[in-house]
Amino acid sequence: MQVPGERSDMGESLIRLESVHLTLDGAAGPVKILKGIDLQVQRGETVAVLGPSGSGKSTLLAALGGLEAVSSGTLTVAGEDLTRLDEDGLALFRRRHVAIVFQAFHLLPTMTALENVAAPMELAGVRDAFDRAEAELVAVGLGERTGHYPSQLSGGEQQRVAIARALAVNPSLILADEPTGNLDGTTGGRIADLLFGACTGRGATLVLVTHDETLARRCGRIVRIADGRIVADAMQPAEAAD
Amino acid sequence: MLHNWLVALRLARRDLRGGLAGFRILLLSLGLGVAAIAGVGSLTASILEGMAANGRVIIGGDIDLRLTHRAATADELDWLDANSLAVGTSLTMRTIIHGPDGDARALSELKAVDGAWPLFGSATLADGSKVTDALAPVDGVPGMVVDPLLARRLGVDTGDTVRMGEATFRIAGMLGNEPDRGSSGSVLFGPRSIVALDAMAHTGLLQPGSLVYWHYKLVLPDGADIEAFTARMNAALPDAGWRVLDRQRGAPGVESFILRLRVFLTLVGLTALLVGGVGVGNAVSAHLDSRRTAIAVLKCTGATGADITRIFLIQILLLGGIGIAGGLVLGAIVPFLTAGLLAQLLPAAPEATLFPGPLALAALFGLLVTLAFTLWPLGAARRTRAGGLFRAVIGDAGERPPLAFVLGAGLSLAGLAALALFSSDNMEVAGWFVVSAIGCFAVLRGAAWAIARLAARVEGPRSSAFRMALANLHRPGAPTASVMVSLGLGVTLLAAIALIEGNIADQVDRRVAEEAPTFFFLDIQPDQIDDFRTAVLSVPGTANLKTVPTLRGRITRLNGEPADEARVDPGEAWVLRGDRGLTYAADAPANSPVVAGEWWPADYAGPPLVSFEDEAAAGLGLKLGDTITVNVLGREMTATIANLRRIDWSSFSINYVMIFDPGMLRGAPHTLLATVEATDSADPLLFRTITDRFPTITAIRVKDAIVMFDTILAQVAMAVRSAATVTLAAGLLVLAGAIAAGHRRRVREAVVLKVIGATRGQILRITALEFAVLGGVTAIVAGLAGTAAAWVVIEGVMDGEFTLLPARLGIVVFGAIGLTTALGLAGAWRALGRRPAAELRVA
Repeated sequence: MQVPGERSDMGESLIRLESVHLTLDGAAGPVKILKGIDLQVQRGETVAVLGPSGSGKSTLLAALGGLEAVSSGTLTVAGEDLTRLDEDGLALFRRRHVAIVFQAFHLLPTMTALENVAAPMELAGVRDAFDRAEAELVAVGLGERTGHYPSQLSGGEQQRVAIARALAVNPSLILADEPTGNLDGTTGGRIADLLFGACTGRGATLVLVTHDETLARRCGRIVRIADGRIVADAMQPAEAAD
Repeated sequence: MLHNWLVALRLARRDLRGGLAGFRILLLSLGLGVAAIAGVGSLTASILEGMAANGRVIIGGDIDLRLTHRAATADELDWLDANSLAVGTSLTMRTIIHGPDGDARALSELKAVDGAWPLFGSATLADGSKVTDALAPVDGVPGMVVDPLLARRLGVDTGDTVRMGEATFRIAGMLGNEPDRGSSGSVLFGPRSIVALDAMAHTGLLQPGSLVYWHYKLVLPDGADIEAFTARMNAALPDAGWRVLDRQRGAPGVESFILRLRVFLTLVGLTALLVGGVGVGNAVSAHLDSRRTAIAVLKCTGATGADITRIFLIQILLLGGIGIAGGLVLGAIVPFLTAGLLAQLLPAAPEATLFPGPLALAALFGLLVTLAFTLWPLGAARRTRAGGLFRAVIGDAGERPPLAFVLGAGLSLAGLAALALFSSDNMEVAGWFVVSAIGCFAVLRGAAWAIARLAARVEGPRSSAFRMALANLHRPGAPTASVMVSLGLGVTLLAAIALIEGNIADQVDRRVAEEAPTFFFLDIQPDQIDDFRTAVLSVPGTANLKTVPTLRGRITRLNGEPADEARVDPGEAWVLRGDRGLTYAADAPANSPVVAGEWWPADYAGPPLVSFEDEAAAGLGLKLGDTITVNVLGREMTATIANLRRIDWSSFSINYVMIFDPGMLRGAPHTLLATVEATDSADPLLFRTITDRFPTITAIRVKDAIVMFDTILAQVAMAVRSAATVTLAAGLLVLAGAIAAGHRRRVREAVVLKVIGATRGQILRITALEFAVLGGVTAIVAGLAGTAAAWVVIEGVMDGEFTLLPARLGIVVFGAIGLTTALGLAGAWRALGRRPAAELRVA
């Protein structure tokens, strides 16, 4: 195990945070969420972010996806300095590089599984969006349920659709926020298999926020956060990680 | 670019699969407002089109020439005969007709026609036979065709005889259809009677100076250039002094009335649409609010702000389009529904067809209102912060939209104002409307803000129901502002209309009681005046007999320039239209003070002088020392303006725009006009005495004329009130929408209150109080705004004296409070119907 800051760089960095602070406006005034985060993640790494509720792990994920603007520090993802991009620039950055999987799935309720998976590709102007979406659904085992609406699918199926939606755009970075948090153990295990398998197969980088130590141990690296600061950052033994 | 819009269209369509339930208020609000504007536009277009298409029938020829007091000369008739295919001659005048028993008598609008009448259309009796056939004498007694109403007033039927002037007529039938009734003089003071022109010779009614209108209706070859013909006629007969109507504008009075009504009804419709706009804005805000998670998800998957705008703008435009289309359909069918009903009231049946112009205008109004009220929430939605998806809290509802959206909303509002101004037939009125609408919005919005603040500051009222009711007015997301603005606009309009209508009626009634004479007597020959005076004064209870010489003439030149080429204020152009009453006097009249110049000496004998009404002079660009030329009985007379007088036209005294010095007109054939006051008991005796002894004198009872006026006022007020009710309906829709939007919260509240022991009665009391306070404050503020608007109209525009009419205002204000409370209670009743256990399980 390494102590924070002792991790050596191995190859090309996909994510680079230097002295990142993030403050949000709350009802009772500004709240400091991230307090000086330094982190580098290499391409193809799988990283679990662990920490108690309110420690700032979800906000870190939002910042990596360009969904929250950092207050100070440097944040570079896939070579793009997110602090210099405006709203539309960040949207295009996500379109090119990032896919997000949520605990609550967040599928669009008025679209079928196929349309949910195709939507990001349609927005990006991909010509064969629906063919690719169908292939992704087949790959996650939902080839028979492409025409179903989210309300007609089980929780596990909905999360598989969400993963298909994330993978369909061939992202270099997948951000997953408690992807198995709303599922029972067996289904959660299958979803995790799917997620890790896809990342390994496609060479995508995975940053996963979770409370689940077992799930975290499947990652190559575990970063622990408390009170907005990284308190531990350790590589997993090769046999433990997927 | 196109690709982006196509993708947005696809995503927008998919998003709408969630159903249109949330859009009912949007569809209804837009549809109602657009239907009102499209309906008014289509209806007036159908009336005007109907009149234009039937111009020949309405005026009874291609051209109608009207002479006052005199028939055309032989030279004039020769020219007309030589230059047209046919000439029809008729006359109209007001007269008294006596029934067979001697006691019954009634005022009638008489028309005497030649054998060729009508040149266009068909004049028939109620049984379908020709009117002219019925007028022929039987046993030497000429026929008379009468309106059934006149027959009822006289107590006569077909075959009975009546007396008119000094001649006897046989009732030959009841009038069914009179094709040119719209242009041959206003049928305001009495029902129609028709006789043959050659039968008039025996009546003794055609005296010099009698108020008789002679009509010459010309038929021109097909395709004849009417303007060229008129120019040629005026050049050949420059002194005729006739009023010329042509088939292109057959009933200018009706036309200008319809155009004025269109101005007001369109603006009332626009108010309904603006109120609806608030509902549209609320519906779109609620919709976007419900889609905040979807927007955040789309943003996470790479949608840009522009993508979000495109998707939801398409949705709004699609739904707005449906609402607008519904409104257009409703508006478009108005002419088809009303053509038959209105045909009897108008000179020509309205054209029942589609009118694309008014429909396009209404659609444009609808589109601009949609954009004006939705760009703000749309811009705010674009700024939804997707990061909230990680915390299950999405974005801020009250985020300010980007500048472009604020500008877009502002431009749409400016476009609305510009469209209201430039599409109106009266820009001044439309301008006042725009200013008033902005003022009302500001006042109501300000009042809403103040009430919410006040409700938040009231410290712990004792009644818990009242405390909870007040809390509901200022809690986050409370619809206080939108309900106050939308409902308030409708109530403001209704209050203003109720007070304006009430003030006009009140002033007419009060001034009639205080100032009006009981009778006007027309066509008194100068040699009858002494006998007339004696006869009037012989009736006990009569007083204040006033007589004034009168004749009619047209202004033909202003400072030597033809009057029809003069640039004049449209508000005063009536002075130049048709002929005006003229009089002469040695002394200044008591009831119209001289405000500029000097009155002429009583023994003045110099060049002709005239005294002119000051406002009319200003409108015509005339000042002291200028000259006017009038055509009286075919003679042109020029006089210099010696002084200007101020006239109170709303008084019931005899007023003339022009009073000449006695020298010029004394020698012209003229009659006298008299006014007399009589007590209620003297009224019938005076009427009988004068009409018995002077069959050629026309008696007009002021009370009867006022009844006619009240009827017309009531009809116009009904039209305006009906349109205003649409505005109130739009306001109630917004209220209903706000209640529906808050239904979920209300159910939760009701359930929790029941769980902690509240009875249904207590919950209903809280709701009743909440809506009574909301409705009460709205109605009071709107009542004040409506009163202010009515005051401005009565005192500023109409130069009247404003009276607050508490009863009328009270009906509007308490009606609004009652409706608001009732709607609120209806919403609460639905919420109370839910069973707590079921609701708590769902939660």
